[in-house]
Amino acid sequence: MLFLVIGLVVFICLRYRAKGDKSEGDQQTGNNLLEGLMIGIPAILLGWFFIKSVGTARAITPGSDPARKPDIVITGHQWWWEVEYPGSGAITANEVHLPVGIPILMEMRSGDVIHDWWVPELGNKTDLVPGNKNYLSVDIDKPGDYYGSCSEFCGAQHAWMRIHVVAESPGDFAAWLSANGKPALPPADSLSKEGAALFQIHTCANCHRIGGTAAIAGAGPDLTHVGSRRTILTGILPMNEAGLASWISHPQQIKPGARMPDFIFSKDSIAAIAHYLAQLK
Amino acid sequence: MEELVTIPEPDRPFPGLGVSSNQGLLQWISSVDHKMIGIMYLLVSLLFFLIGGLLALFMRVQLALPLNHFLGPEAYNQFFTMHGTTMIFFVAMPAVFGFSVYFVPLMIGANEMAFPRLNAFGLWLTFFGGLLLYFSFLAGGAPDAGWFNYAPLNEKNYSIGPGIDYYAMGLLISGIGSVVTSVNLIVTILNYRVKGMALHKLPLFVWMVLVNSFLLLAAFPSLNAALAMLLLDRQFNAHFFNTGSGGSALLWQHLFWIFGHPEVYILILPPFGILSEVFQVFSRKPIFGYPFVAASSVAIALLAFGVWAHHMFAVGLGNPVNTFFSASSMLIGIPTGVKVFNWLATMYGGKIRFSVSMLFAIAFLIEFTIGGLSGIAFSIVPIDWQLTDTYYVVAHIHYVFIGGTIFGLLSGLFYWFPKMTGKMLDERAGKWFFWLFVIGFNGTFLVQHALGMLGMPRRVYTYPALPAYGILNFISTAGAFLMGGSVLLLVFIIRRSLKRGREAGDDPWDAYTLEWAAASPPALKNFDTLPVVTGRRPFWDMKLAARKRPLPGDPINAATNPPHTKKTGDDYDAQ
Amino acid sequence: MTTMHNNQPDNKIMIKLVVGTEAMFFLCLIMAFIYMAYHSGFEPHELNQLDLRTTGIYTLALIASSFTLLLADRCLKKEKMRGLKGWLCLTLLLGATFLFGQGKEYIRLIRGSVTLNGSVFGSSFFTLTGFHGLHVFIGLVILSIILLLAFLGDYDKTVGRGSALSTAAIYWHFVDIVWIVVFAVVYVLPEFTRL
Repeated sequence: MLFLVIGLVVFICLRYRAKGDKSEGDQQTGNNLLEGLMIGIPAILLGWFFIKSVGTARAITPGSDPARKPDIVITGHQWWWEVEYPGSGAITANEVHLPVGIPILMEMRSGDVIHDWWVPELGNKTDLVPGNKNYLSVDIDKPGDYYGSCSEFCGAQHAWMRIHVVAESPGDFAAWLSANGKPALPPADSLSKEGAALFQIHTCANCHRIGGTAAIAGAGPDLTHVGSRRTILTGILPMNEAGLASWISHPQQIKPGARMPDFIFSKDSIAAIAHYLAQLK
Repeated sequence: MEELVTIPEPDRPFPGLGVSSNQGLLQWISSVDHKMIGIMYLLVSLLFFLIGGLLALFMRVQLALPLNHFLGPEAYNQFFTMHGTTMIFFVAMPAVFGFSVYFVPLMIGANEMAFPRLNAFGLWLTFFGGLLLYFSFLAGGAPDAGWFNYAPLNEKNYSIGPGIDYYAMGLLISGIGSVVTSVNLIVTILNYRVKGMALHKLPLFVWMVLVNSFLLLAAFPSLNAALAMLLLDRQFNAHFFNTGSGGSALLWQHLFWIFGHPEVYILILPPFGILSEVFQVFSRKPIFGYPFVAASSVAIALLAFGVWAHHMFAVGLGNPVNTFFSASSMLIGIPTGVKVFNWLATMYGGKIRFSVSMLFAIAFLIEFTIGGLSGIAFSIVPIDWQLTDTYYVVAHIHYVFIGGTIFGLLSGLFYWFPKMTGKMLDERAGKWFFWLFVIGFNGTFLVQHALGMLGMPRRVYTYPALPAYGILNFISTAGAFLMGGSVLLLVFIIRRSLKRGREAGDDPWDAYTLEWAAASPPALKNFDTLPVVTGRRPFWDMKLAARKRPLPGDPINAATNPPHTKKTGDDYDAQ
Repeated sequence: MTTMHNNQPDNKIMIKLVVGTEAMFFLCLIMAFIYMAYHSGFEPHELNQLDLRTTGIYTLALIASSFTLLLADRCLKKEKMRGLKGWLCLTLLLGATFLFGQGKEYIRLIRGSVTLNGSVFGSSFFTLTGFHGLHVFIGLVILSIILLLAFLGDYDKTVGRGSALSTAAIYWHFVDIVWIVVFAVVYVLPEFTRL
């Protein structure tokens, strides 16, 4: 269609240039047959698109089986993803582990504003609307890493609300799930013990949960197995002690607007907390 | 001897304020003359265009490189919100109204709008609405929730600053201005046509303005209602959109898009009208399929209200709803296509003169078709589920708004500038401007289609260094600067043409409609007498009649106009 | 006649367009009311506080005011100036009565802790009826100006010619009709359906 229009434009412009003479053009005012074609041909084309699209939309929408429970519940927050595996006790953030070869039903919720789940290679976009639940079914063929992002504007850090899907074989996935369903590892060495204590007595525990400890709040990402993730902050920093330490020391520089405020910690305290968190595999 | 009708005087050109027509600024501020108001609308539009364009350049600098630190997220989000809001409400709308209030009375052979003071009222509401919106920068932060301003992000708990309040107030005020101006235009068109100009002989620009004004009257209340509810929420803790206390996030989307999609057509129909005039004059042919071009506007206006939910395919409305809106959105492609093909048919067999105005019209055909076809893609639900809210959408709306609305308006500017000022807008420099603008525009936005398909979401202040992201964004930024430069060139051309432009004469294009029968620029009183209109090209008919008759003193405004001669305009393309 | 299209005076077309766009505005508010009723559900104990009977009586007053305005317009056309003034006064009185009734209802509801910021129902109810009340108030201001002009003798000379009264009347009837719809949706409908 586009090429038709461009072609016609170019042809007409070349053919009907006024060559300096001042005469008028052909004074034709219309032709009903031609008008019919102008309406009819696009209408037929669009009808065809329409039938195709309805079929495709049916095929990729989750079936309406009301008894089916979601395999995974995703809750959007400003600006991170809460990922819950019902029945297993596993809760994680931002890095979504999924098994390949099994159709998975995902339930989408929002904890605050509207977000939108989009991993281009894994099917369609789905909005996460506060007060509503949406469903998305995913069936992944190949293991690997898939990347996506929030694609409904959701505030200051919309840009850093990216998605990392780790697709694994069912066996690997089961292993991951059972490991992540367990409570957090106890602090192993003295530095991490110090970090664990700091975590509990300072305000960290007001927002974050670490399974098996006194920290049970849900306002920020779950940190029970944070050490097993590859990145933090949906990909801004790598998951290691240095990354964690730099984040804890000045969150508002790294992710301005994020809900975590700048705290006043000594360097040693930060190192201890980062050390503790990094070993929560 | 043909019958002449006397055109009624405007009631009172300057309402008893004791202002005479040589008092400079005061004269402009107090004027109720539709031509001065039209020019002021265009100047308001230009002012905000420069500001909105500057915001866009800042955004493109930030996005030129991955992980850039030129703008922080707060500034970026304010800038893109203000850019969108400004361009739609304070650039495109005033420009459309500027041409409408200037040329509708002239084209229908009237001396004034039906309600001259209401006309001025509409202008100043629009202007002060815009000022109020920009005052937010001084008052503690501009709105930062996007021009679409989705709930609940627009609520106090997520946007604590005053920006959103300024957004709501600014748009309410300018919205009321738009409504009164539309009322005014409709009454003018219905009641002030010169004798003989039945509705099926209206110039197509006037037709589109008429349809458009009805569309606007039907669409704006939805936005106004939504804004009123939002203000009640934010100022008095009501609960419409506050999802935490039972409100609904989707109610805002419904109300906003019931307004928002017709708004897109509100911004495109008058440019369609301009182009319908331009294609005729520069192809030296009457429009092909007048009834179809006119009727397709009505079809677009009606269908515009049945498509809003295609902005919401991803929110989970369910397949039956999605299917309905998919079908209606595809349907609206048909009347739009009818227009494009009719314009092509108008050019076919003509004697095309490539003035800058015509160049923009031709470029429009291509750019707008790209925008229209990429839009059809969104009506296909599964494609929408992939591409909505990506840079593909950014590319699409800019092809529609720039390739459609702005190209149409620029075509109108080059076409009507001689009428408004009496000076030709420099054609040779204009061609430079045309090519720079078109190249810059395509450079900026063509690559964004690809970015969207690669998965880059829109409205992000930064992005990771993924393959191809950096280079495509850099090309886009370079294109944006070319465009910015070409706009500066346009401002320079306008300034120079005003000072030293060639005298245009009354009818430089040998045109067809009545505005060219008035002087350039028209006197305060547009017409003294006009012959009864018998065809769709009244001025062409007048010139034919005058040529057949030995000149017994020109019948057309013998007082103000020199007898019509063809010496001024026809050599414009010899420059 | 220099132009042939003066089928109706400018004012009449203008007010019809204004009424049309206002109708869309109220349609949006009414749809929002219904949407909220289904989306969030209104608290029955709040809905039950609405006083259908008393408000019904005030509604009759507003409807009556439309008829008295019609009579005023007829008097103007027949050049009966005393009748015009009398019916206009009665119209204003009836309109004011309606507003008074709405004020009383508001005070009663607020005392019963149904408020704009109290609940979804409060937000929807006060916004919808409040915007309507505002339009009644504007109508009263316009009619007062016309009444004032009538007393000043403006209508004595240009009897029946000015379109101001019949233009204002279109607006007033519209405000009246909107209230009938609002009344039906807000007061009557919940009696029959459990929103």
